[in-house]
Amino acid sequence: MITFSNVSLIYPHSTKTVLEDLTCQIQEGEMVLVMGQTGSGKSSLLRLINGLVPHHTGGILAGDITVDGISTREVKPGSLAHLVGIVGQNPINGFVTDIVEEEIAFGMEALNFAPDVMRKRVEEVLDLLSLNSVRNRTISSLSGGEQQRVAIASALVMHPKVLVLDEPTSALDPIAAEEVLSVLHRLVHDLSVTVIIAEHRLERVIQFVDRIIYIESDGETSIGSAEEILEKSTLVPPIIRLARALNLSEFGTSVREVRRLTSDVRNIEINAETHSRASTSPVIEVNSLHIQYGSDIALHRISTVIGQGEIVALMGRNGAGKSSLLEAIVGVLKPNAGTVRVYGGNPAELAGSQRRQTIGYVPQEPADLLYGQSVKEECTQADTQAGLSPGTTFSFLNRLVPAISEHAHPHDLSEGQRLALVLSIVLSGNPKLLILDEPTRGLDYQAKALFTLALKEYATKLNNPVLLATHDVELVAELADRVIFLAEGEIVADGSTLDVLLSSPAFAPQVAKIMSPQPWLTVDHVVAALRENS
Amino acid sequence: MTKPLHPLTMWVWSLVLSIGIVALDNTWVALATVGVAALVVYLRRDGSPWNATFWWSLRIGVFIIALRALIGVLIGVPIPGTELFRIPILELPSWMPGIRIGGAVTLERLSSSVHEGVIIASMIALFGAASALTSPHKLLRVLPVFIYEIGITLVIATSVFPQLAHSVKRIRRAQQMRGMEKVSLRSIALPLLEETLTRSLQLAQSMDSRGYGVSRRRSRYRPAPWLARDFYFVLTAVAAATVMVAS
Repeated sequence: MITFSNVSLIYPHSTKTVLEDLTCQIQEGEMVLVMGQTGSGKSSLLRLINGLVPHHTGGILAGDITVDGISTREVKPGSLAHLVGIVGQNPINGFVTDIVEEEIAFGMEALNFAPDVMRKRVEEVLDLLSLNSVRNRTISSLSGGEQQRVAIASALVMHPKVLVLDEPTSALDPIAAEEVLSVLHRLVHDLSVTVIIAEHRLERVIQFVDRIIYIESDGETSIGSAEEILEKSTLVPPIIRLARALNLSEFGTSVREVRRLTSDVRNIEINAETHSRASTSPVIEVNSLHIQYGSDIALHRISTVIGQGEIVALMGRNGAGKSSLLEAIVGVLKPNAGTVRVYGGNPAELAGSQRRQTIGYVPQEPADLLYGQSVKEECTQADTQAGLSPGTTFSFLNRLVPAISEHAHPHDLSEGQRLALVLSIVLSGNPKLLILDEPTRGLDYQAKALFTLALKEYATKLNNPVLLATHDVELVAELADRVIFLAEGEIVADGSTLDVLLSSPAFAPQVAKIMSPQPWLTVDHVVAALRENS
Repeated sequence: MTKPLHPLTMWVWSLVLSIGIVALDNTWVALATVGVAALVVYLRRDGSPWNATFWWSLRIGVFIIALRALIGVLIGVPIPGTELFRIPILELPSWMPGIRIGGAVTLERLSSSVHEGVIIASMIALFGAASALTSPHKLLRVLPVFIYEIGITLVIATSVFPQLAHSVKRIRRAQQMRGMEKVSLRSIALPLLEETLTRSLQLAQSMDSRGYGVSRRRSRYRPAPWLARDFYFVLTAVAAATVMVAS
């Protein structure tokens, strides 16, 4: 279906090749995963398939790509619209109309389909993606998962032979992500659509894919089955790390397979030790907090206390009230009723340097805080603001991500580097509390591991609390001590990470699913438990 | 919810009425027309984000009236009449003859400036009403394909601008939460510019990869027929405008 022959790609004003000599064939009805570190050129590879690269972006392309016999060199992306459906990283940025139904019909209108054909196809695709109940809604009022499905629907309605998706689940909670992936799985199996997908959270997709294209940082690529590629790769999901740690003879990519391989590991007796955390002095006290926007209730009389040195993860569906709670704690959102106290004071009264020394805040889009012309400028500014000796922030940053150039423009950094930069700037104020809003979108496993390490060090060394909102269960399993689960503006679960994550199969991390009923969440837990046992 | 009018109806209505206003050149009629437009917007609003456009156009209108009045007071031809107050005349270099800044301010001069301001503001308010009731995306669907580039530009502008206000709010909040003492223009503009550019490029890419502009002809999923009520609606405006032009 798709043939890459000796494809190399280099962008203008850049010395680094994005792709080097990629040759491969993708068959009809195959599901292929594109993986690589952040900023390694996954998106470029995807957009080569319908010619957006280089027609829209510029750059020098060597070699040739053909889709169903048509060379992307010779036609514009629009001429491949009936053949290739593409769903970008942020579907909301690609929507052209306001209403779900009109959005789905847009592509067909543009290609001058007959009205009766359009009617039929829209109905079909609405059913296929279970969007019938929202067909007349405005797109902006839908949840993230629904928007993602609308984007997929408007690509599918053209009956493309190839569907290309760039991180389709990165902004979704685990349940919505599962929904989207099961739809893709069905498309591949029932309609024999060729699906090419890029994703960082391998644990979500790995069980569905037939082959993997792995882009290494120097543009070299390797192609092979999931087992072949993951055997050598440094970017591996927990399921493979588990297999490595246990020295299993075979690799498995699905929970079912690995469960079969590890039945003897699970059957050991362990003494169920319940170590309750020593109660620490409270830092954040939330007392019957009530927030509403107009008639929409965002938070309904919630109360909780977060103590020193705790790492607390705030989870819940998109729109469950996570951001409202964070904003109220930081003190920029005035509660309708109830109180928030941070270190005994009202956070809304903090200002300027006093605020920076009390609360460190990393927003959902780290770039919102960056407006310097270079990494160095940002670091110097942070040093002067915090009254540190020059170079402190930069050396901290260097420890987080080595090999970052101080002359680089913040815009040119990779997702992970930018987060590290913002984290270093925020931590330079030496805040007594750290709050992060969905920090790990678009981070690969290595960047996430570094990030986890930095936060843990901050919490244990300085005995300060960390509060983070996230959808990433694997991150929560590795990092958090405690999970607060929000739904419809209320706390539905609040307890140790182990209890909360194990109580719901949808939110259980991969290792927990494999090792159930043993209470192990991460590879480290398994290894530690086994060592204790032997 | 009321069934939407044809996307062009409100635009034609506003256009015809503004011709009338300019032709008649009467402050009170202009204000009354804006009142009617406000009533129409109130009756036909459907809760979409565009509805706020009318409110914004009114604000811009007030600003224009104020600006026009101020300029009228400072600069302008002296019109004889009841003198209200007198401000000192600014000495201008000899190469700027015929311009007077300051001097006597008469009631006639002030009212004529305000009158001009009101006429301009009314036209803006009328078009604000049209765009408040017609989603620009719907308008795009009735435009012919051969103005393809204009179509892409229109969609990008109308999709990105409402999000702009949202982004500014988000960036400002993030910087406040960070504890930046003063949120400067630069600190907001740079992240905003970056985001808006990325967003516009993504939208253009999306439209292109979905085949927009490939076919010369474009079919309609839900044709928007020009109904009798669209006709009557426009007819009221034409009648009103005819009276205004004739008198």
